[in-house]
Amino acid sequence: MAQIILAPAITRWLAEHSGPAPAGSEWRLARSGATLADVLAALFECYPGLRGYVLDERGVLRHHVVLFIDGRALPHSHDFGLALSEASEIYLAQALSGG
Amino acid sequence: MSQRLLVATRKGLFVFGSTAQGWQLQQRHFLGDHVCQLLADPRDGRWYAALDLGHFGAKLQLSEDGGSRWRELPVPAFGEGEVVHLGDGKAPRPATLSKLWALAAGGPEQPERLWAGTIPGGLFRSDDGGASWQLNRPLWDQPERQDWGGGGYDEPGIHSICVNPRDSQRLAVAISTGGIWRSADGGDSWVQSAQGMIAEYMPPDRREEGNVQDVHCLVQCRADPSVFWVQHHCGAYLSRHGGEQWQSLAVPPSVFGFAVACHPSQPGTAWFVPAIKDEKRYPVDGRLVVARTRDFGASFELLSAGLPDDESYDLVYRHGLAIDQTGERLAFGSTTGGLWLSEDGGDHWQALTARLPPVYAVAFA
Repeated sequence: MAQIILAPAITRWLAEHSGPAPAGSEWRLARSGATLADVLAALFECYPGLRGYVLDERGVLRHHVVLFIDGRALPHSHDFGLALSEASEIYLAQALSGG
Repeated sequence: MSQRLLVATRKGLFVFGSTAQGWQLQQRHFLGDHVCQLLADPRDGRWYAALDLGHFGAKLQLSEDGGSRWRELPVPAFGEGEVVHLGDGKAPRPATLSKLWALAAGGPEQPERLWAGTIPGGLFRSDDGGASWQLNRPLWDQPERQDWGGGGYDEPGIHSICVNPRDSQRLAVAISTGGIWRSADGGDSWVQSAQGMIAEYMPPDRREEGNVQDVHCLVQCRADPSVFWVQHHCGAYLSRHGGEQWQSLAVPPSVFGFAVACHPSQPGTAWFVPAIKDEKRYPVDGRLVVARTRDFGASFELLSAGLPDDESYDLVYRHGLAIDQTGERLAFGSTTGGLWLSEDGGDHWQALTARLPPVYAVAFA
């Protein structure tokens, strides 16, 4: 299962959900999926409100949100068809750009 | 008379209350987050706060209990393939919600209706208290929208929504930049209504086009809805004919500014907070003043009792001036976090005791 790490800046908006740690701290989750799209869909199914924080209404990664896969930033913000391995680690955080 | 003042700032929502000891800061919400717009709905007491989370997008929060608890509501969304035109020759770009810039309550007979104006320039309607939103297609599909442009922001935005207090089907919205659009049928059809204004930033032969006018703020008198007041990028205007005709006003000490408020029951009375025009944007001579007219703009008084005696460089944004339902209580907040309140129509002001972040919007509740 891919590992997903949500940065504290994101989880603080998930206070109404029960997560693996308090809202406002780093969350580590595991979700299965062959592609990044699959894993994100599984994540958003658990936390429906999260989608609008990570993606805009077109389904594109927000300009000031950064998504790392195994330490490398997603090169194209729309390339959610990227294949993942069982050991992949996805790190979602607010970008330093954007203030 | 309103007993609470909501203040939206760059770093949170602050709530002041009127107490026996004067106005006091009583509540703090969304600390650290940019709150860009407010609605205190007079129909049901609900408070709406629009957040502009730079990283995570535009959000909307609702409190139904005077600020004790908040919950997030859905925000308006543009459909796949919608584009926003920029009016100045730049290429169109996909339309995605950037900011909730205007929030307005529907009429008393429409208890769950809300209107929202956005950047880019979409007008959205909710008939379920904000649980879902629909883009107003007749306005969005106006061919003239291709000539709307950014006014301050990169993309055009709807910042003022006036729902006629006598006939909720009659609407007027103002756009930076896209002039003023009016509807007499609840938004099914629209007409441009800013003819007569002058856009000095345009080539001479286009300065009088309604659709290019940069209206900064549009307000409507509750007792006489045929009276509208406008603070424009290049002047101040009054309409006594339901927005069909406009007359220019000589607001001292400058006709530039962002904010205007009008008296709810005295159609001839309005307040402006002027600044040096255009690229400067600070009070003339560093003196913060409020200009008031009581005779439909024929004359103005400068009100400064209680405002800073020293130099001050406070700019008041378009949603930063509010008036309550009595017309006696006003408040305004500034870009440097100043907050002033008057209980007597602006004759005297008191500085509320807080050093606030930059203020974007104020509202009485």
